[in-house]
Order: sequence, then structure tokens, then C-alpha cells
Amino acid sequence: MIWLDGVLVSPGSRSLHGERILRGHRVWDPYRSKLAALAHLGHEVDLPSSLRVLYLGAAHGTTVSHIADYVECVYAVEIAPRPMQDLLSLARQRENIVPVMGDATRPGEYAPFLERVDLIYQDVASPRQAEIAAAHRVFLEEGGTLILMVKTRSIDATADPDAVTRQVTGALASCYRVKAVVPLEPYHRDHRALVCEGVK
Amino acid sequence: MRYSMQRYWFGDVMEDTCTRAEGDTAALADRVAAFSTKMEEFVPLRWEQAVLCGTAPDRAGYLALLRQVTTLLAERKIRAWYGRGDALLIQKVRMLEDLDRAASLVAERFGEWDRVLHPGPAEEIREPAPRRALEGARGRAEGAQAAVIASVDGLAAARAALVEEVTTGAREILPNCTALVGGLVAARLLSAAGSLDAMARLPAASLQVLGARAALFAHLRTGSPPPKHGILYQHHRVHNAPRNRRGKVARTLAARLAIAARLDCYRGARDEEFLKRADEAVRRAGRGT
Repeated sequence: MIWLDGVLVSPGSRSLHGERILRGHRVWDPYRSKLAALAHLGHEVDLPSSLRVLYLGAAHGTTVSHIADYVECVYAVEIAPRPMQDLLSLARQRENIVPVMGDATRPGEYAPFLERVDLIYQDVASPRQAEIAAAHRVFLEEGGTLILMVKTRSIDATADPDAVTRQVTGALASCYRVKAVVPLEPYHRDHRALVCEGVK
Repeated sequence: MRYSMQRYWFGDVMEDTCTRAEGDTAALADRVAAFSTKMEEFVPLRWEQAVLCGTAPDRAGYLALLRQVTTLLAERKIRAWYGRGDALLIQKVRMLEDLDRAASLVAERFGEWDRVLHPGPAEEIREPAPRRALEGARGRAEGAQAAVIASVDGLAAARAALVEEVTTGAREILPNCTALVGGLVAARLLSAAGSLDAMARLPAASLQVLGARAALFAHLRTGSPPPKHGILYQHHRVHNAPRNRRGKVARTLAARLAIAARLDCYRGARDEEFLKRADEAVRRAGRGT
């Protein structure tokens, strides 16, 4: 990841959602993007230009666009029609984004389009987040990384975020080993980033 | 390990042979849409197989064609989703809510403005103050003030037309819910649920408190009394019921609404027998017997 004077940026010169341009680079805002927040909290994720990424829960494509600035290609999966429209117009401008409209709880619907990737990034507002991560294990390359942004409030609105996170970590155990659990405060409330590697 | 045939977007792969999928982008999209992929037996594709297959010349060509197919499929799904009547009805209800907010905001400010302009004693209080200021200024207002009045009138006209369209739309898309709680309330519930599909899946208890999010979460977090009603309060049977029976009426109504929403979603026609019994049940709850 590229830092300019302590500011996280991505290598693109065209502003997408009005973010600042710093010496020909797009400023990557940790308050808007959980991956940027994770980097600001000391867990930088390596994004070499050869990387292939599967992004579950792409939404309007803010984080997708920054990742796409760095890597070879991003498979961006999103279910909701309105954000998908924004994602499609983003993909029209960037040749390395493959927009996929589908339900992450049913990977069979879009599996014939996906290849194995080096990084799975999951940011899905579903009560079944661990299940979704497990179902996509098959798409992770040997030695690849899963970054699971646990939205604890989507799993249980009242429970303690740490308890929910422990529950998710436990449910992942058969296919992923959790290397780090990072609370995303103060950038994102009640979110925990799990940095994982595939088991076996 | 025995290999089963793998079906990918560019063709069918069996060990090291590949049968290329024929046709243009639309044909490729149709083909995948008809798949039912079982994840247990699925092996992810390697893009080199598509080159072997003759579908793409190289990595760049592979991605370009793949993007065309997935984009086309996404566009189709979006069109299909928006083509259903509920998406349009939801936009109309939300516009209605925004118009109301906008009109009341402008009227409020108008009242303050007018107080400065005419600081005399308040006239007899009948209508709510901002509305009264607006009506009072009609005729004597000039310049920008007159233009503001004209816009508020414009908003009111738009609102009237919109209410008409929303109630007609609700009758068509939510015939049973509309019969139970009226078109406006039915459409607002639909808007809060997000889609007819989602609404039909909601349990009655959720329908009952839809629109009372703040109170519901306050209840879950702090144990304050749970909300008895959300949007449902707007229905006359609920807000006209005696205070101590409102909860019961809302609960009964919500239970019938949950059934009505399912009828609307999966059958789409009025069920007179159901409506008659639902009406009786709600009436009974209101009487408290």
C-alpha cells in the first residue's frame, strides 16, 4: 500500500466520489473504507499488481475502486440493484473490475464466472457471515488471505460485539485460521476485521 | 479422485477436454442463467481453460469477454427487479414522504419570516401556525415570498397527484393489505419492508413495529417498554382505539397483515373470505371482548 506523508492513497488520478487527489494519487479514506481503516490501524494488506481479488458485498464500489487501482483484477459481487447500477458504471470505466450481481449466500449462482483468487474480501450485511466465508473457501488460492469485516450488528443487534466476533471465529475454524482480530474503532463502530488464512 | 464435468461460462470442461459454449454475449449469459451449480462438486475454473476452449485468445481477452457477460446478466437482473410494480410504488411513497417533509420545512421557515415582517399580535389560533402564516400572507406577499407560496402550492398539487397514484398502485399491488389498512398505510409498510418479497417474509411482530425502529432498539438495548406500533399507528383502528387497547388492536391487525402480505405476494388477488374474518378479528380486538 502506498502512503504519501502519512496519507493512504491508491494509484489512480481520477477522483471517483470526490475524494482528494494527492500528487496524482487518490486519497483512500479510512472512514469510508474498512480496508483503509485496517491499514491505518497497523494491519496493512499487501496489494501487489499481480493480485486477484474476490470482493463480496461490493456495494457502490468505493473500496472496490481503490483495490482495483492496485491489483490485476477484482471480482465484485453485490446483490442489491441500486448499488449494482453504480458498480456497473464504475466497471465501465475500469477494465479490471468484473461486476457480478448475485447473492453471496448462494455462490452456486455465480461460481461458473469465478476463478481462484489470492484475496477474498468480505463485507456483507448478513447474519450468516461465517457461513458465507466458508462457502467461498474453494475460491481461495493456496496461501491466500481472507479478510472478513464482521458486521456484528447484522448478526446480533444487541449482543456484545466481541462475543459475536468470537462466535464467528469459532464458526470459521474448519476452513480458516484467524491470524488477527482488529476492532475498527474509531473509523467504523461495531465492526471487527478478521485477517485469516486458509486451513489445509 | 473422479472428475465430474464442470460447467463454466465459456464452456464445459471434462478433465482436459473442453466443449466451447457457442453464441454471442447474450447466448453465453442465457446459458449460465440456466445452470444449477452444486458447490459440493464444483471445481473453480482456470482462465487458461477458456483459451484452450478457443473462447478467448489471452488473459485480457478473457476478462473483457467475461465482463461483457456478467454485465449483461446484471443489467437484466436490475431491469427485472425494477420492472416489478413494487419498486415503482416504493419510490412513489418515499417521494410522498419527502414532499411532506419539504413542505413542512418550508412552511415552518415561512412562518418565522412572516413574524419578522408582520410582528403584530397573532390572529385567532385555528390552523397550525406556519400554515396560518402562509394563508395569511397570500395576496399581500410579493417578490421572493410570493414565489415561495407558489412553490408550496406546487408541492401541494404534486402531493395530491401522488397520493392518487400511490393509492391506485397499492390497490393493485397490495390488494389485501390495502383492504385491511388502506392504500397509504399499506404502501408505507411496503416501503419500510423494502420489497413485496421481503414484506411477505416478515413475521407479524415485525410488521407491527415497522417504522418504530428507534423505540424498538431502545427497548432491546435498555429494556424500556417495547413499542406497540410503528407505521400501523396511522391506521384509524389503531389510533382511534382506547389507549389501553391500542396494543391489542395493533397486534391483531399485524397478524392479519402478515397473512395479507403473503396473499398479495404469492396470489395477488383479493381474498374476500379472509378479509371478512380479518375485519371481524380486528373489530373484536377494538371492543376488547
